[in-house]
Amino acid sequence: MASSKNESEPSSSKAGVSGEGDDKKEDRTFECNICLDTAKDAVVSMCGHLFCWPCLHQWLETRLSRQVCPVCKAAISKDKVIPLYGRGSTNQQDPREKVPPRPAGQRTEPESGSNFPGFGFGDNGFHMSFGIGAFPFGFFTSTFNFGDVRPNAAPLGTPQHMEEQFLSKIFLWLAFLFIAWLLLA
Amino acid sequence: MANIAAQRIKREFKEVIKSEEVAKCAIKLELVNDSFTELKGEIAGPPDTPYEGGNFVLEIKVPETYPFNPPKVRFVTKIWHPNISSVTGAICLDILKDQWAAAMTLRTVLLSLQALLSAAEPDDPQDAVVAKQYKENLEMFESTARHWTNIYAGGPDLNKDFNDKIRKLVEMGVEEHQARVALSSYNWDLERATEQLFS
Repeated sequence: MASSKNESEPSSSKAGVSGEGDDKKEDRTFECNICLDTAKDAVVSMCGHLFCWPCLHQWLETRLSRQVCPVCKAAISKDKVIPLYGRGSTNQQDPREKVPPRPAGQRTEPESGSNFPGFGFGDNGFHMSFGIGAFPFGFFTSTFNFGDVRPNAAPLGTPQHMEEQFLSKIFLWLAFLFIAWLLLA
Repeated sequence: MANIAAQRIKREFKEVIKSEEVAKCAIKLELVNDSFTELKGEIAGPPDTPYEGGNFVLEIKVPETYPFNPPKVRFVTKIWHPNISSVTGAICLDILKDQWAAAMTLRTVLLSLQALLSAAEPDDPQDAVVAKQYKENLEMFESTARHWTNIYAGGPDLNKDFNDKIRKLVEMGVEEHQARVALSSYNWDLERATEQLFS
C-alpha cells in the first residue's frame, strides 16, 4: 500500500494565505502546481513548471531517492530550478521561514565578441600549414610559422597589389609546368 | 491535519465539482467529514468493458502529508478485476504508490482508476485468482466481471446461469457472497466450487 511518512512540518502551514483570493478570479496561469495557490517565492523547473519554493522543496525532501518534476516527472534538482523575481515581489515577505532559502539565480557573463582565442601560444598568432607533394619536394611545402602574423593582402589598385597578382600568376604557371613535367617524365 | 493538505483538498473539491467529467456523470466526489481527510469517490464503469453501466464507490483517505504522499484509495464496491482485490478492494496502481506526483489531484486519480478498469494489468496483479482467469480465459473473466458489476454496482447485465448456480449453493447453506467468490474462482464449475466450500 501507499507509504505515508509521518512528517510534521509546521513550515508547510500557510498562514496569511487562506481567506484571500478565494473568490477572486485570479489568473490561474501562475498557480503553484503543488498547493494550487498563486505561487509564492516562485521557482520554475528546467521543464518549465512553476512551483512555490517551499512546496517544491518539501516535495524534493519527501522523495529523496526519486527527484522528479511533480508535473511531468522529468529529472529535477535543487540546483536546477530558476527563481522568478517579479516586480515588487521582494516586499512581500513570506511567513514560512523554516524553509531553506530559495536557490539564487545564476548569472552567466555574456560571451565577449572576440575571435577564437587560439591554443594558448601567447598572444601572437600561431600558424601551421601542411601540404602534400612529391617526396623530395614535400619538405618544402610544409611550413611552420611561429610568432609572426600573416600579412594581409594588399589593397586593390596599389602597385603592390599588381605585383602580387603578377607573382601569383607566375607561380601558377610554374606549378602547371611542374605538374606537366611530372606527368611526361 | 497540515494546513496545506486541507487547503488543497478544498481547491480540488471545487475543481472536481466544476469539471466536465462530473457533468457527464463519469466521476463524483463527496465529502465524508468536515476536515477534508476523508472523501467518497464514485466512478462510472467505462463503456465497452464488463464494468459498463456500473457505479463504483471508492473510499479516499487523505494523509496529513498530502499532496506529497498519495491519497489512500480503496474500492468499497466489490469488483472483479486483476488489479483490485476482490476481498478488500485494495488497488494495485503505481500512481497510488511510488509513481505518485504532487501535481496529481483527486480528479486525475479518479480518472486513472477509470482507465484502470478499461485496461487491466494482469502481469502486476493485486488479486492473483482474477489475474490467472484473465490470462487463461478472458471470456470467462469478462462474464464474471459483468456479473459482479450487475450484482454489486448496479450493472444491467443479469446472468441467469450464474445466479442459478449461486442459488444452488445458497440452498446448501452457503452464504451468497462466499458462494459467488467460490464459483468465480473456479470458472463457475459448480462441482469444484462445492468441493472447495465443503472441504
